[in-house]
Amino acid sequence: MMINETLVLKLLNLTLFCFGLGALASLALARRAPAARWTGHMLALLGAGSVGTLAVAGLAGGTAHWTLSGLLPFGGVVLGIDRLSAFFLLIIAVGGFPASLYALGYTRAYESRHSLGAMACTWNLFLATMTLVVLARNVLTFLVLWEAMSLVSYFLVLTESDHAETQHAGLVYLVMTHAGFACLLMGFLLLAHATGTMDFAHWRAATASLGASTRHAIFILLALGFGAKAGVIPLHIWLPQAHPAAPSHVSAVMSGVMIKLGIYGLIRLGFDWLGIGPAVWGGAILAVAAVSAVLGVLYALMEQDLKRLLAYSSVENVGIILLGIGAGLLFQAYHLPGLAALALLAGLYHTLNHAAFKSLLFMTAGAVVQATHTRHMEAMGGLIKRMPQTALFFLVGSVAIAALPPFNGFFSEWLTFQSLLLSWQIPARDVNLIFALAIAALALTSGLAAACFVKAFGITFLALPRSDQAGQACEVSWVMRAGMALLALACLALGIWPVGVLYALQATIFEMNGAYANLYFDWKTVVANPPFATVAPLLMACALAALLAAIPLALRLRRGRTVRRYYETWGCGRALQTARFEYTSTAFANPFKRVFAFLYRPIKELDIEFHPESRFFVRTIAYRNEVRSVFEEALYQPLIRSTQWIAEQARRLQSGNVQSYLLYILIALVILILLAR
Amino acid sequence: MVSLWRKIWKTPVVTEPFINSDAAAAIEALTRQVEAAAFARLGRSLHIRQVDAGSCNGCELEIGALNSPYYDLEQFGLHFVASPRHADCLLVTGPVTRNMADALRRTYEATPSPKIVVAVGDCAQNCGIFAGGYGVVGPVSAVIPVDIVVSGCPPAPRAILAGILAAMEKPR
Repeated sequence: MMINETLVLKLLNLTLFCFGLGALASLALARRAPAARWTGHMLALLGAGSVGTLAVAGLAGGTAHWTLSGLLPFGGVVLGIDRLSAFFLLIIAVGGFPASLYALGYTRAYESRHSLGAMACTWNLFLATMTLVVLARNVLTFLVLWEAMSLVSYFLVLTESDHAETQHAGLVYLVMTHAGFACLLMGFLLLAHATGTMDFAHWRAATASLGASTRHAIFILLALGFGAKAGVIPLHIWLPQAHPAAPSHVSAVMSGVMIKLGIYGLIRLGFDWLGIGPAVWGGAILAVAAVSAVLGVLYALMEQDLKRLLAYSSVENVGIILLGIGAGLLFQAYHLPGLAALALLAGLYHTLNHAAFKSLLFMTAGAVVQATHTRHMEAMGGLIKRMPQTALFFLVGSVAIAALPPFNGFFSEWLTFQSLLLSWQIPARDVNLIFALAIAALALTSGLAAACFVKAFGITFLALPRSDQAGQACEVSWVMRAGMALLALACLALGIWPVGVLYALQATIFEMNGAYANLYFDWKTVVANPPFATVAPLLMACALAALLAAIPLALRLRRGRTVRRYYETWGCGRALQTARFEYTSTAFANPFKRVFAFLYRPIKELDIEFHPESRFFVRTIAYRNEVRSVFEEALYQPLIRSTQWIAEQARRLQSGNVQSYLLYILIALVILILLAR
Repeated sequence: MVSLWRKIWKTPVVTEPFINSDAAAAIEALTRQVEAAAFARLGRSLHIRQVDAGSCNGCELEIGALNSPYYDLEQFGLHFVASPRHADCLLVTGPVTRNMADALRRTYEATPSPKIVVAVGDCAQNCGIFAGGYGVVGPVSAVIPVDIVVSGCPPAPRAILAGILAAMEKPR
């Protein structure tokens, strides 16, 4: 099917019109909060829908090129769409559309406290800049939009800036994102200088003739910049602070979509701009990915804060995505294009899946937080009775993220596993060893992720309410539930019927790499590297559904005459059953804390104050058992201290004395004259 | 290590040979009867939950003996279980104390029907020497319905088995 170029342009114009109008209208209506809320988010919803249509048009083969020469120096604003951009537009739509719907209801709670006009305006701008980033086609356009996206999301993170915690989170985010931006800037300028062009389209042909050290430098700088946005360990520290601090529809899109643009950059870098690179790049990405996956989930397991748990789980999932991408780079370095495409396909599929289920989980977490007014899991519990639909959506998201069939997480992790297992085709022992470790890391990650989400769901939704607020929680409004329901359905659809996305991804990867993935699929089965491994998601879903239905049926057939009696949960005959008897989140995580103590380095403090009369009576007990962040202590604290030390030394030059400044000018002048001689 | 070996070497055989006496044969016959009665009544083996409602633990020693190699109830499929939810039979000992009355009532309610209750020992029957104590509510029958009472202070394991059998054979 041929897609007309004017159609694509019209769709792009419609998208930008919706977002632009949404931003302006919500500012204009800022005085009337409900009007600003409805107008701003409805237009964002329309814009996100239009992004989705644009994505479908792009994936179907539509191309467009759009230049606005006067706006920026060095080539002006250049936008274009290819299938990879279109796929990431699809991810933006999958995250942005339900999140805008959800925001319609969710931001109502902010009406009395915050400016809804500003919130809805930045929300529109956030979606618009993300859309434009993936369409940018030259250096300056990309960098300006990238920075705009970071700044707009920074303002969204600061929505509840009256909390000191939020201010700190915003600061960390700002510093990390600008450190990343500095790396990107240097990398891009180096690349543009070496190739002599600012245009992305010419880089692939031009980089092939560059020297190895230049290529290494470009790769390291750009990988650091994109990695900081994607949140890979050890550049992840902003993520668990900024995501919980932001309003939940923002955290959903930041975690589900924005960090994926880091992945987008890495794919462009490794597969498009630099062409086929050395095996070291793939190996490095694979190693970082394995570390991110395992450590991300281990930190998630320790969290008591529901949204921080989800943020750490994003670090884990970025690790899983990068396992696919790193494997793809390695396969490419060893000239196995079919397998490289398969691994890249697995990574891209997981990117889409993560956008669906992580957005869903953040939205449900936001609903829970709004209903209970706390993010602390130990103060929740029993919410399945109070908020049954939200609980169902959270369960769907948890099952999907724990990679259990029939939901989407299973399918993409299966593909990732297959592509890693096929590494025996690489004829190099050391590379095979790295792959073996990556497979082990992925297996460990899957298991720990399941444990982590058993904890998240069990502690939050099951048992008795642990606080009065949890006991009085109410189900959230229907628009919020509609947003969550859309994503829950998407999780199911992507899990049981992957064919549509697989077609699109095959075309995407062929367009970029000139090779199809070694993957056969029809309406029911998917075969990786035929006949290496087969899976039938649709049949599996049917079998699971049949199995679930069979249990009540069998019980009914076997014991038709059983009498049913409803009675309270058996509590060992205790007269009083309160939430204090329940299994806590800390207790659930404690075995892991002991096993992985070398990583967590937990602080243990027990302060007991005895009664002055007798040691047999205790007045107060204070118990602390916290996990320390190795990265903050071993990497960032020394970095901050040394920066401060350098700043202290540099301050001596800034005496405030005009005479000494005149001396500096004189010295500078003399040096310049000497140099220019 | 050496001391451990020395200990093993020095320690004589501490078990006794099994004497196939009439008593043993009678116990085995009785246990088989209980097993058969359980199958006839429940369609499967019998699961017993023991509740100490305030006993001096004399009865518990006798009940514990039922699990010893001599009586070995488990081999006939009679299990002591850890929750009333799994049980068909409650074995209650001791006078019911104030602190245990509510727990006993809850345990009875938590046991799925059809259930049988065997009150074991004189205290369970009529509070024994604790009768009239300030902490005692009364005999077991004052708190929950009892099917069979096994008297004795403490009753022999054989008597307890006979009591369980009688409770199961009791027509309803």
